Amino acid sequence: MTTPSPATQLLRPDPKRRLALALSVLGAALLVVAAGALLVGSASVSPRAILSVLLGGKPEGIEAVVVLNLRLPRILVAALAGGALAVAGVAFQALTRNPLADPAILGVASGAAFGVVLAQLFGLGATVVAALGLAAFAFAGALVAAGLVYLIAATDGRLPIQTLLLTGVIVGLFFSSAITVVISVVDFNRLGGVIHWLLGNLGPISGGSLAVFAALSAVGLWLVLGRARQLNLLALGEESAIQLGVDAERLKRRIFVGASLLTSSVVAFAGPIGFIGLIVPHMLRGLLGPDNRLLIPAALLAGGVFLLLADTLARTLVAPAELSVGVITAFCGAPFFVYVLRARYRAIP
Amino acid sequence: MTALIECRGVGFAYPAPDRRRASPFRLSGLSCEITQGEILGVIGPNSAGKTTVIRLLSKVLEPLSGEILLEGKSLRSLTRWELARRVAVVPQDAPPAFPFTVEQLVLMGRYPHAPGRFFEGGEDLTIAREAMAATGVLELAPCAVESLSGGERQRATLARALAQEPRLLILDEPTAHLDLRYQAEVAGLLRRLNRERGVTILLVSHDLNLAAEIADRLLLLHEGRIARVGPPEQVLEESLLGAVYGCRVSVEKSLGGRLAVQVVWPET
Amino acid sequence: MRRLGIAVAFLLLLVEPAGAFRLTDSRGRELILPGPPQRIVSLVPSVTEIVYALGGEGRLVGVTDFCDWPPEATNKPRVGGMLAPNLELLVALRADLVVATTEGNRQETFDQLRRLKIPVFIVNAQRVAEVMAVIAQLGELTGRQAAVGPLTDSLMRRIKAVERAVKPYPRPKVLYVLWPEPLIVPGRLGLLTELIELAGGASVTAGEPDAHPRFSLEAVAARAPEVIILARHGADRTPLSRAPWERLTTLPAVRAGRIHSVDGSYLHRYGPRVVDGLELLARMIHPKAFR
Repeated sequence: MTTPSPATQLLRPDPKRRLALALSVLGAALLVVAAGALLVGSASVSPRAILSVLLGGKPEGIEAVVVLNLRLPRILVAALAGGALAVAGVAFQALTRNPLADPAILGVASGAAFGVVLAQLFGLGATVVAALGLAAFAFAGALVAAGLVYLIAATDGRLPIQTLLLTGVIVGLFFSSAITVVISVVDFNRLGGVIHWLLGNLGPISGGSLAVFAALSAVGLWLVLGRARQLNLLALGEESAIQLGVDAERLKRRIFVGASLLTSSVVAFAGPIGFIGLIVPHMLRGLLGPDNRLLIPAALLAGGVFLLLADTLARTLVAPAELSVGVITAFCGAPFFVYVLRARYRAIP
Repeated sequence: MTALIECRGVGFAYPAPDRRRASPFRLSGLSCEITQGEILGVIGPNSAGKTTVIRLLSKVLEPLSGEILLEGKSLRSLTRWELARRVAVVPQDAPPAFPFTVEQLVLMGRYPHAPGRFFEGGEDLTIAREAMAATGVLELAPCAVESLSGGERQRATLARALAQEPRLLILDEPTAHLDLRYQAEVAGLLRRLNRERGVTILLVSHDLNLAAEIADRLLLLHEGRIARVGPPEQVLEESLLGAVYGCRVSVEKSLGGRLAVQVVWPET
Repeated sequence: MRRLGIAVAFLLLLVEPAGAFRLTDSRGRELILPGPPQRIVSLVPSVTEIVYALGGEGRLVGVTDFCDWPPEATNKPRVGGMLAPNLELLVALRADLVVATTEGNRQETFDQLRRLKIPVFIVNAQRVAEVMAVIAQLGELTGRQAAVGPLTDSLMRRIKAVERAVKPYPRPKVLYVLWPEPLIVPGRLGLLTELIELAGGASVTAGEPDAHPRFSLEAVAARAPEVIILARHGADRTPLSRAPWERLTTLPAVRAGRIHSVDGSYLHRYGPRVVDGLELLARMIHPKAFR
């Protein structure tokens, strides 16, 4: 009746120390995976050449181009996108008090996808050339979707979570249908490009785009991490959280904005990628417990490790062709989801 | 005896789902006092307004008319976390959505004392441990709350409330869904807290016998108004209870002075 | 005087802009390279066919997985599909020019190539005249300008021969089925429409907007085509199922039994084989003209 649960037997009382330990381990893992990703690819570049490029030598030459312009940017995008998605997942699950919620439910990802599909339909990528271009359309679509969800769900200045979830699902479905309509009328030759994007494929992005992506994610992270302690209190229920002194409405708004920002920027710069926001928070919660102050920073690193691994697999499994990273995360995600569901429901007496 | 809480003509109604019809619920002209150091039991039929009173006292809701004073200061002038340092609510049993441990749960009670901090400090930990000891859940500190029995969970939540170091402790149906054994446990615990630590307690319960047993005064609510307030013998009167609850009730006084309230079952 | 001449020539050489090689692509953008490209990657199967027809495959260092004609092309290093060519391979191949199209390759690929400082030359051909222009452009790029004239002349001769052969005959209404489900047909902007016209037919979908619009079976029935041509795609040798079409017994084409199938690779690419495709089309539409 009162057996300590397995996770908590590892519990040491000081969360600060556990956080430091988790971050060190995950940080090391990220570096190892990144180094591994740097070593593999379709062009054969020797480890020594890679090292000399990184240390500043050989600014010209194909090794430098492959390492600095192709592999390194892609690794950075994967790590950042994975981290952002995982953090959004933790935040969204805490907000909705549901450990099985995926930030894609917000409807934001579908809005972003619709923005991109529209841009490709009108061939705008070719004419409206900006450093952002396609990403700007994705972001605009995401903002429209998030705005819609908020406007529909918020009543009398309050944001009821049930309504938020339902509205997110509906808005997401709406944009998905809109995408289907676009696909059915788009020219045959462009169809491949649209579908390719929808499958979720990472690619190297420019330094400027990466900087914008990082900045937006940083804002999203700040919005969420800054309220991690209050998010813990939200687990007791909104009323109890209020009775402990939390401004629940403000908190919900802030977390909604933060999670939407993180999700939108990932979709805008890396395409739609699923399951990370679901799997990574869950795994971490099993290892570290449900304290968001530990989960959010850990998710930032763990999500990066996860997506980086998946992307490296995606670009090496059937080289020189590439699998879409969305395929890998889905193939891992689905069985994992089943396992979690069964473990969870077996535990309930 | 100083008044800890004073309600002056408090009125409240929930917003009506359909604006044309009248609001479904009203609290009106509620004026009462909670004296420092007492145990006040709030009783009455369902939807008489008991839960609404709790929400008003903890600033989950704002009164539409009248005001509520805490130690002379209007609740409107306090922020939520300033209030949370003085008033703690133990809700009905609801396990948290995530597998927090007892210790983590109790530490949440320290939030109002330093809302700007990211991690709790050493002092918070000491107070939390002490609160857990007071309610007898210290050995359960590393256990997940959701794996505890109903009674243990209740004591853990009580420890969390105590960690808030409140002047007023509010309990919402503390013995609902609990086995008899735990009901007795909780009753004893509350009485001990009140006598040994001087904690003022407001107890909302539909269990009239529990209320009669531990409360110093009772406040009987009926359709949003106070039907009667005073010591249990005055409030637990057969005709009054019968009128408020809408059924026949018998109140017996045993030799030791204990009151026992019973429903009079209808003839078959 | 001679010294002045040498000085002027010298000055001219200096003043000569850094781009010693210039060519305008199908998008109207000018390609400027220090010299003629020596290591060309083709991301378009049609382009690969033309390069081989011109004899310029010596400068071709990479092709897509879909470049299957001529058969020797499959020996060239592969860089992946048209949608997502492998950038690392492109860099490793030291490509100094990538030839691509906006109809089949993606804008993101062009952006990435631009960032990698690999020049991109865009080609497009939606008219027979444009096909000849592309052949000329590729002749310039591969240094096989001399082969352009003979190739285009022979292609034009064959086209004119077909035109002459079918001229006396009335134009039957032709439906060309690019894809059966969803029904995709050639529209106003596509090369196919012109080819059908040159073959002596009148495409019933010639007025539809875009290059490959969707169409409905009802609209087909309304237009009453007299000849139906079904396209086969890829390596699929089995003819497309005629059964769904044979059920539409009100169509003149069905009543006359004039349902044909053709290998799409002749007609959906715009290499020299497109004229072979034209000849096939003409024989299907006007069998009497080619007895």
